[in-house]
Amino acid sequence: MTTFSFPLLLALAVTLWSFNVFASTEYHEQLFLQPLPQSSLLASFNFRSNTSQQSFDNQHFQYFPRALGQILQYANAKELHLRFTTGRWDAESWGPRPWGGSKEGGTGVELWAWIDASDDDEAFAKWITLTQSLSGLFCASLNFVDSTRTTRPVVSFEPTGNHRNAEGLHLLHGTLPGEVVCTENLTPFLKLLPCKGKAGISTLFDGHKLFDAAWQSMSVDMRPMCNSEDDCVIQIEQTVDMVLDIERSKRPRANPIPRPLANEFLACDTSKPYNSEDSCYPLEKTTDDAWSMSEVFGRTLNGVCPLTGPDGTNEHSVCLRVPHEKQVFISEGSREVKKEDGFTRCFNLAPGQPFDLSIPEQAVNTPVPLEDPILNAERTIVGHGQERGGMRIIFGNPSNTTAVDFILFESLPWFLRPYIHTLQATITGRDGITTDIPASDLVTSTFYRPAIDRERGTQLEIALSVPAASTVTLTYDFEKAILRYTEYPPDANRGFNVAPAVIRILNTADSAPVYIRSTSLLLPLPTPDFSMPYNVIILTSTVIALAFGTVFNILVRRVVSVDEAAALGAQTLKGRILGKLVAIRDKVRSKGTKVD
Amino acid sequence: MTAKSGDSVSPSASAFTSDSSKSTKRVPPPESSESIQTRFRVIASFWAVIIFLGFPIWWKTTSIYRAHLPIQEMVDWADGKTCRPVYPLEIHVAAPSLQLTESQHLLRTTQHTLDDLNEFAAHHLRLKLANDTVAHTGDDKVDNLDNRPSDADAADIALTVRVLPEEGLVTPRSELQAHTTQLDVFYPPSQIPSPSTSNPPLSTFIAQELQRIYGEEKATIAHILSGESSALDSTSPELTESISRRLRRSMQYAETYHLSFSLFTPGSAPSSWDIEAAIQEYLAPLLHAFSPISNFTIDTQVQLYATFSPMTPAPVYDEAESAWTLKKEDLSAFINAAEWPLNPSIGSGPTLNFILYVPDPSQSPMIVKENRASSWIVPQWGGVFLLNPQLEKNQANPASLSQDSLQSAFKTFSHQLLTLLGTPSTPASLPLRLQTLVRIRAASLLLSASSTMGSLARLTESLPSIPIPANVASSVSITLSHLSAACSDLREGRFNAALASARIAENEAERSFFEKTMVGQAYFPDEHKVAVYLPLLGPIGVPLVVGLIKEVKRIVAAWKARRRAAV
Repeated sequence: MTTFSFPLLLALAVTLWSFNVFASTEYHEQLFLQPLPQSSLLASFNFRSNTSQQSFDNQHFQYFPRALGQILQYANAKELHLRFTTGRWDAESWGPRPWGGSKEGGTGVELWAWIDASDDDEAFAKWITLTQSLSGLFCASLNFVDSTRTTRPVVSFEPTGNHRNAEGLHLLHGTLPGEVVCTENLTPFLKLLPCKGKAGISTLFDGHKLFDAAWQSMSVDMRPMCNSEDDCVIQIEQTVDMVLDIERSKRPRANPIPRPLANEFLACDTSKPYNSEDSCYPLEKTTDDAWSMSEVFGRTLNGVCPLTGPDGTNEHSVCLRVPHEKQVFISEGSREVKKEDGFTRCFNLAPGQPFDLSIPEQAVNTPVPLEDPILNAERTIVGHGQERGGMRIIFGNPSNTTAVDFILFESLPWFLRPYIHTLQATITGRDGITTDIPASDLVTSTFYRPAIDRERGTQLEIALSVPAASTVTLTYDFEKAILRYTEYPPDANRGFNVAPAVIRILNTADSAPVYIRSTSLLLPLPTPDFSMPYNVIILTSTVIALAFGTVFNILVRRVVSVDEAAALGAQTLKGRILGKLVAIRDKVRSKGTKVD
Repeated sequence: MTAKSGDSVSPSASAFTSDSSKSTKRVPPPESSESIQTRFRVIASFWAVIIFLGFPIWWKTTSIYRAHLPIQEMVDWADGKTCRPVYPLEIHVAAPSLQLTESQHLLRTTQHTLDDLNEFAAHHLRLKLANDTVAHTGDDKVDNLDNRPSDADAADIALTVRVLPEEGLVTPRSELQAHTTQLDVFYPPSQIPSPSTSNPPLSTFIAQELQRIYGEEKATIAHILSGESSALDSTSPELTESISRRLRRSMQYAETYHLSFSLFTPGSAPSSWDIEAAIQEYLAPLLHAFSPISNFTIDTQVQLYATFSPMTPAPVYDEAESAWTLKKEDLSAFINAAEWPLNPSIGSGPTLNFILYVPDPSQSPMIVKENRASSWIVPQWGGVFLLNPQLEKNQANPASLSQDSLQSAFKTFSHQLLTLLGTPSTPASLPLRLQTLVRIRAASLLLSASSTMGSLARLTESLPSIPIPANVASSVSITLSHLSAACSDLREGRFNAALASARIAENEAERSFFEKTMVGQAYFPDEHKVAVYLPLLGPIGVPLVVGLIKEVKRIVAAWKARRRAAV
């Protein structure tokens, strides 16, 4: 029922999984390139290395990075997944996500790990150790993953490795939706690779291009893989997936500002009645853009990482998915191998030589088919006002025949207080008729862990089913909490990040997990004027002083009549000064009259 | 209605002269003593509330908790007034072939000679006649530091001297066993000291041997205890220099050291090494011998494509040596700290890094220019070894390094490890050197904990505004009690116990000195507080103070008037 627009990627993933995990090679890397509609290019990098359980336990690291290995051992983490993501995957134009979404995270940083511990408290302590250490290793603010940002999902994630002691494992999950992923995260990521960006496909990484991409996701996965009880390896898999805008990436670094084309270079639809000197309806392009790897990535691929493959040569370390009829030029010394599916070709690179591939501008006759995603999901905050709001999640099932079962996992910050009783669903068919139905008709099960103010956030996992050819809108209301003065961040008026929802699709064709993540949201909270405490102090001080002064004066002062007051007044300092002034005035006057 | 301050009770009409024509001035009647009394009470009660309620609350809420610290005791420790570390080393002498009186005489004369030779009173050797059982089982009982006497009160036996006759000798000779704490002294049977001779040659010989064995230890301890300034007179300048260099290079003492072995190479080969076997073979015995003093964790890594930093001067080809040479002054920049992943291991305890660098075939062999060395120590950090594989021309580096090819590297690493841990270079016996290390460590920990106490005392004296939490006080008291325990252990010759106490003292001293809560997180300057509370204190304070002043004036005036009246 479910077909993927990335059969190759999935096929790759599955073949790698089943064959190479226990193969003699301990390191493997691959780059997969696919032009996408709207002049985009998906570049999917995959690096994987193994180490035996024994040498991992004895801290003898060869290809497995020592720094990460020690952190995992110190924190008792048996399986770890770390994601750095920026941008948004445009599923409408680009189709389903690479790796079925299992190698990407929500916007910002996402981390989940299975930690071996005897109880929840110990697991949490280890988790904090883990986040603190990873924060230092990856230069990310992972140390801000505290108890309010940590959840313990029940059904949304399942370990992908083979664990002996599955009962003692605790899954903890944390997200930092506001974290800005940038080059300082790429450098430590590259350091974990055995070839360190000096040889092989990792030489293509350039922070300027990677973080300029329309969407990019870096992942680090660590898991144990076992053949039998005693034959275990620890596998680390790193991936970088990015969607580059070809035109934008091709801009030279010296002149990065796009400039308007001169009139004579515009391709206009001359059949339009209004077409004239000063109006132009752009003509749809019939050809794909020309691009080359060195233009798009800003550098050429420097040979192969000699650790890959059984004999040091790496077969098919670069693959490209374009129709076979398309012309592709490659550097000398490398060999092209066309796969049978009609769309994929891979390249055997010459060791030690730079590799480049370029595709000239040419007409496309048979475009690479892009399948529909299994499910479209969209999440927005609705409502207005400072006090309440609502969440609306729209699920679209593009299939005409099959219902989609999935789990929606929301981890909401504590200052967003959802009212679960307001959970409502409407269902819209292809005919456009909307019907309200009770949410319980769609929801098969719910795992709910309510928030505790300043201690933990809401954790909500809902198992849902969306019927074929219909769109389901799920809504619930929430209340916005008022924070304490010191809890507001410096940019409080920007809004507060709400972590993306994670959707795990259950009935996939094969066992490969399929995940979708919604975009992260910004929640505007009632924000005070931050000079408020001083205003309050001064105002209350004034009021108290006023009240005190009145009371004190009434108690202490003597009440006399007006004329008595005048007599008394002369006694005081003020009275004496006034008297002197009057005397001076009289003197001046009398002098004036004398002159006259 | 107009209210006027009613302090002046006797207004006189003569006060106004110029403006007297406008209205009839009527002076109010004098205030009744009752209302004066009421006003006095009001003002007094306001001030009473301020003084007896306001001030104590303000004082209580803004004062900082400062636990009591035994400042004088701490300063005394830091000044070395409380404890003078002494090192009485117990040495057993076993002379199975001699008569009891003979051996007692030998013991007495040797002790006498030793005392004459010794110039550092804090470190002295005490000879003791071993009972025969100990002497006979001596070689297998005292061979390891693990097997120290089970009786906790007994002093550690530093060394066992066995005096054995050997035919055909002219002068006595000695033999220090490399793996035990036993010195065998062989003497010609003709030299059995008769009780009559006051200074037999055998005694002199034994005394000189012992003096030689403990010479470096004595110099080191004297150096530590006296600071940089004065060492012993008899120590040669070379020895002093080597001791101070070793002390500079060696790491601070820690219970656990992390050893990190890294293979770095600028290319892609070698990408594996037989490290587990090499560690097992070449390093494990040494680490086992160290286990009573410190524990070790080991991790290893292979790092390919490890290039020098751009700031490092490139190695230069030397025709004469037919090798690529690094200048000695450039060695400090050899390690590319920015790119090589040499981050310290997680967990408490310092990390010692050992780097095996295999140069690229185009730059092989690589040596240090000045002394053709292929290894060096980075003080308090680790060691580097340049491994130059035997290569034919244009041959690539081997893909894997075998255990045999790592042998020379690991011998160097073991040596570097001993140096970095501060082990003295003499005597030849490793157990003796480790015993010496125990005593050196105990001395330095004792001094460092004491001086930390002194610093803490000075800190709390000089900053009256920092809080002193109760746990600092308890840490200090633990430190002081363990310091005195360590001191008395030293005096009685129980060096391992002294080290254990000194270790606890040092830990607690560090904990108390680096207590986080002693440093305030939020700091509001007084000007800030005044500015915030001035709108309240100003309007309230002024009427109160003015009222008080007027009331005082009135009382003074009334008192004067009464005196005048009395006169």
